[in-house]
Amino acid sequence: MINMSPTTEKSYGLKVVLPSLSILVLMIIMVLPYKSSLISDIMPFLTLIGVYYWSVFKPRMLPVVVVFILGVLQDILLGSPIGLMPLLLIVVQQFVFFQGRQFLERDFIFNWVVFVMLVMGYGLLYWAITSLYYKTLLAYLDILGQIFLTIAFYPIITWILGLIRKVIK
Amino acid sequence: MRRFGQSFTAIFFIILSLALLIFGRSQNTVVEQVRAQIFELFVPAIMVVDIPREATEGLSGWVSRIAIVYSDNEFLREENAKLKQQLITSTEIIIDNIRLKNLLKIKDGTLTTITASRIVSDSNSPFFKSMLINSGRNEGVKKGHAVVNEEGVIGRIINVANKSARVLLLNDINSRIPVKFSKTGVNIILAGNNSPLLRIDFMPTDERVAVGDQILTSGMGGIYPPDLPVGYVSQISDLGEIKVQPSVNLNRLNYVSVIEYEIASFPQLNTTNDETLPKPDAERRP
Repeated sequence: MINMSPTTEKSYGLKVVLPSLSILVLMIIMVLPYKSSLISDIMPFLTLIGVYYWSVFKPRMLPVVVVFILGVLQDILLGSPIGLMPLLLIVVQQFVFFQGRQFLERDFIFNWVVFVMLVMGYGLLYWAITSLYYKTLLAYLDILGQIFLTIAFYPIITWILGLIRKVIK
Repeated sequence: MRRFGQSFTAIFFIILSLALLIFGRSQNTVVEQVRAQIFELFVPAIMVVDIPREATEGLSGWVSRIAIVYSDNEFLREENAKLKQQLITSTEIIIDNIRLKNLLKIKDGTLTTITASRIVSDSNSPFFKSMLINSGRNEGVKKGHAVVNEEGVIGRIINVANKSARVLLLNDINSRIPVKFSKTGVNIILAGNNSPLLRIDFMPTDERVAVGDQILTSGMGGIYPPDLPVGYVSQISDLGEIKVQPSVNLNRLNYVSVIEYEIASFPQLNTTNDETLPKPDAERRP
């Protein structure tokens, strides 16, 4: 865990909100009307990438309460049951902390491999909770598509988030 | 100690999320009101982020339209000639229909177009099929209003804020629409299951259906006016499971109309002919 003194935190100024803001923009990108059945059904979990990335690289700028608020906002924009997304995103963040984020911080490929496993678990949990909520077994094929597309989008999104991280530094 | 504190906070928010999930299920109206107020704040932000996508789409659309303009022109000329012929026949049928309805004193419901709206956002999720439109309470939109376009039924309003509203699409798992087969008039329920094709509930066992059969709204339930196109039978499995293709391409929506349908009361005795006339601001369905 990074040991930052209060003065160091203060020096970030308004840049402190950049991680949350970037996740918010990813969230809005997820709900734009793309007019394509392919994108509509297998939209990648962009906010998951955001939460994972910032939890690894700037955890102090993404406290659990912010993840909770972002999750609720995503539920509101998506039209999903409120509580679903905060639950999933907080679990992801805690998984990163549990794994030891310094370990994940080192190597991109290793980081990506861990993310692959994480996104599979996320997809499974997403499907299971939603099925439980609707009391019916929902189709899982589209979720597989979402998982694959999220894995494919990971390098692009993290590259963009990396640019934001450089601004924060 | 700090790590313990963080874990405690995380556990608290996980429990809070679970509580919201359960609370939202049982106390739906409160949650929906809060949701409506918050998503309204996001509409301007969504529209700003959407500018590059819209510009790209507009440009590619313009190029493709230019490319097909000649073939389209020829096709439209032929179609226009056919439609002119059909218009003459339809007008005769409409006049006959009105005359017969007047004789039987049948009252139709009134259909009012509340507003035309633009699609602002889409759920883009395999589990939730809804869209956000940029009209709300200020334009007269209410929960339960039907949402249609020139091709047919799209869904219904489930959540309204002042300047925006959420539309539950007809392929959402929570969507149920009372419909009928256009050929036989047999009433059925069309249910969404989050896939592009809809399924039929409460199908009479002795009813025979063929691929291509048209499905229209039945007018029951009071949300959708009767005889709006909903879809057509696209697949019948060996086990008799019927799949319906919606008449509207739900992934290609730009603008939609919000309509209000007021179901007609039963005809009463000693009614004058004037009562059967349409309201000035309402369109009367034949």
